[in-house]
Amino acid sequence: MGEPDIAPEGKVDALVIGGGLIGCAAAWHLGRAGASVLLLEAGDLNRGASGQNAGSLHFQIERRFLENGEALAEQAARVVALNNLAIEDWRGLEDALDRDLHIHMSGGLMVAETAEQARLLEAKAAREQSYGLSTRLVDGDEARSIAPYLSDAVLAASHAPDEGHADPRSLTPAFAEAAAAAGAAIALRASVTAIEPRAGGFDIDYEQGGRGHRVRTDRMLVAAGVWTPEICRLANLHMPLFPVALQMNVSERAAPFMPHLIQHVGARLSMKQAHAGNVLVGGGWPSRLRRRDGSFDLAARPDLRPENLAPNLAVAARLVPELAELNLIRTWTGKTAVSADQLPIAGEVPSMPGFWVAGGGSAFTLGPTLARLVAEEMGGERQDALQVVSPARFEHLNSFMG
Amino acid sequence: MAEAHEMDVAIVGGGPAGLNAALVLAGAGASVSVIDEQARPGGQILRQPPTGFAVTDWLTGRPYTGLKRDLAAFEDSGATWRGGRSVLSIQRAPEGARREDSGGAGAFDLVTAGGEGAATYRARHVLVAGGCQDLAVPFPGWTLPGAMTVGGLQAFVKSQRIVPGGPVLLAGTHPLMLVLAEQLLEAGARIAGVVFAQGRARFAGRLGRGLLGAASGAGNLLAGAEAMARLVRSGVDVRFGDPLTGLLGRDRVEAARFASGEVVPCGLVGTGYGFVPQAELVRQAGANVRPAGRAGGWAAAVDSGFRTSVPGLYAAGETVGVAGAEAARLRGRIAGGVIADALGRRPVGDMAKARSDLAKVERFADLLDRIADPRPYFPALPAETFACRCEDVSAGEIENAIAAGAGTADAVKLRTRCGMGVCQGRNCEPTLLRLLAAEGCKDDPGFGARFPARPVRIGDLID
Repeated sequence: MGEPDIAPEGKVDALVIGGGLIGCAAAWHLGRAGASVLLLEAGDLNRGASGQNAGSLHFQIERRFLENGEALAEQAARVVALNNLAIEDWRGLEDALDRDLHIHMSGGLMVAETAEQARLLEAKAAREQSYGLSTRLVDGDEARSIAPYLSDAVLAASHAPDEGHADPRSLTPAFAEAAAAAGAAIALRASVTAIEPRAGGFDIDYEQGGRGHRVRTDRMLVAAGVWTPEICRLANLHMPLFPVALQMNVSERAAPFMPHLIQHVGARLSMKQAHAGNVLVGGGWPSRLRRRDGSFDLAARPDLRPENLAPNLAVAARLVPELAELNLIRTWTGKTAVSADQLPIAGEVPSMPGFWVAGGGSAFTLGPTLARLVAEEMGGERQDALQVVSPARFEHLNSFMG
Repeated sequence: MAEAHEMDVAIVGGGPAGLNAALVLAGAGASVSVIDEQARPGGQILRQPPTGFAVTDWLTGRPYTGLKRDLAAFEDSGATWRGGRSVLSIQRAPEGARREDSGGAGAFDLVTAGGEGAATYRARHVLVAGGCQDLAVPFPGWTLPGAMTVGGLQAFVKSQRIVPGGPVLLAGTHPLMLVLAEQLLEAGARIAGVVFAQGRARFAGRLGRGLLGAASGAGNLLAGAEAMARLVRSGVDVRFGDPLTGLLGRDRVEAARFASGEVVPCGLVGTGYGFVPQAELVRQAGANVRPAGRAGGWAAAVDSGFRTSVPGLYAAGETVGVAGAEAARLRGRIAGGVIADALGRRPVGDMAKARSDLAKVERFADLLDRIADPRPYFPALPAETFACRCEDVSAGEIENAIAAGAGTADAVKLRTRCGMGVCQGRNCEPTLLRLLAAEGCKDDPGFGARFPARPVRIGDLID
């Protein structure tokens, strides 16, 4: 490779690629631990899924894991241990970062409307309890006494007292400021162009301001969301993360009436009233990724799918009738990355020591925790809690590489 | 959203432009639907009273004659009227749904919502003739009850003959204030005064010269000069050269304060700083827009055939630049002819004459636009005054966000919530762009346009 115009710019202890929630939080933890850190962000901070998600803090096993067979449900249940860590992390974040992040943890209800759905809830709660998560089954009347805005359509619910929501607009900037205060350098509009493994570390080339730069590091973390597979490819690695396009609906502001996160065990729904009073309704109704030249265009905002509005809003209004009287003022589309088995991927890549990756699935709820654990691992402390989400489970793909 | 309708052309907006385009297209044998938020055709300029109302002497003025003729012709044209519906989005139809015969342009899906639920319309060509709205101008006291804009007041008087409580003071730079004052007077309102920020010489001199040169195209603007004379004869205080600085009052407007120091007691204020195009749908569909002009806002960027940058999507009327009802009629007629051509049909009417008439009318409109130029007269905006009234974001908060590095409208929005409220940024965007420009952030593209183009009751989307 000819790179005469790239000057070596020194060496850092840790290099982070991606200025989203996980990247900024990891840079903060690494910096606090005394490491010299450089974070490279190809655009601006918080512009990907970290800032485009709806801010749910969901700790119950999600519906998407319950409708695809035993094996996946069991695997998802093992992630519940991480959820318990996440609950602690979220409870301490506003103090640790010393600012108001609009974190509300007033509990969440996953509701059932039919007897069959209620049985799914029972099985789910049994799994969760066996992994130490405190969810409790309640009947419709008790659900309505907890959440009086719920309609008679609710037959049963599982209640998780720590669920809630936070503000995706403020979290990542707060992590970034804390990281900078801890000494981390953050380079914006800095695109990585090459990753060269060498003995005991990596040489990273990136472009910023029309100039090429090179930096050397011992350890690196890729937390680039939907762009993570592209970055991993620069290091000759497969990473089975796939971009998916989401669609989220926002009502006008209303006086606070819905303090809980509401999910549905038998229908795609996630709903909460955000700090400012807007009700956010989503839960897995996709928009559509743009395509260009035979590939997905990750730079473009996904296209709305109008046919997904009514069914999403209808189930929401069936559970919370007063929603029908509010105006829809905005529907936004955004992208996130989901792994091949829908569980997050976080940890060191076994075939490439020094190369960590984090992202893919529930990365807002789990993001602060994954970032903390990965940063601690990069500092030299093995984290057993990460085993269930380790990239090792996809290592068979990289056995063909090299 | 099961209900689907297919047609050659969907026209968004049933004002002068939309109706004239529909007349040309229906006359050429195309299937046309006109979709509008009002129950009855005519747009803001006519504001037809509800069908159950008997209104005697409805809009008798000369400027309305041609428009009322259009309305009568439209009723018999064969075009389909779809009133009481908001268009929420215009998107290219999925690949498989495009028809072979759409000549490379093609099909669009329009999502609409109205009292009877949501519907999707599929059309080979779409014309957006969305009209304009008052430029919202913030100043101390602008959020007090009793503070309105001239367009809002006029809608009350025209549509349902509601006489606003008064006394009514009109202040700003736009000559429409004269027309409105006369309509208010006629409806029985008390007028506390009409106060122009610009001097009389700038106003009357230019207006007089312009009328001589372009009398035939003056349309309802000519009515402005006549209205002034009649108002003065009726004893209404019409003044020049005194910009509004703020409104006073505890729970509602009690008085208006001017740069001269004068405080005028009043119960209602209508500000008139000009109009900005409604081009959200065009932006949302991915077509190019351009800065609309002196009052601010965005206009659809179109070629001489009113084609936007998205093939098959057209824009006309005030959506391509505010120039008054007569220009809108002519633009609609021309756009209708161009679309008819694209459909392989022969348009009726003399398009060459329409184009030469339009040139004359637009010259006059530009003169009027220069007279009404609000830029030198925007009231000072103290740090504590709300710039975004939906989300209670003050001018000071916005200035702080810009100072902290938020250098674009979207970045300020993300940081302050400016533009995230129920007006969807319609009212605050021009102000925000002015504040950005004052800090050196010029040529900002504004807020990214999102679905839905109008707030819509959630119940109306799911019924």
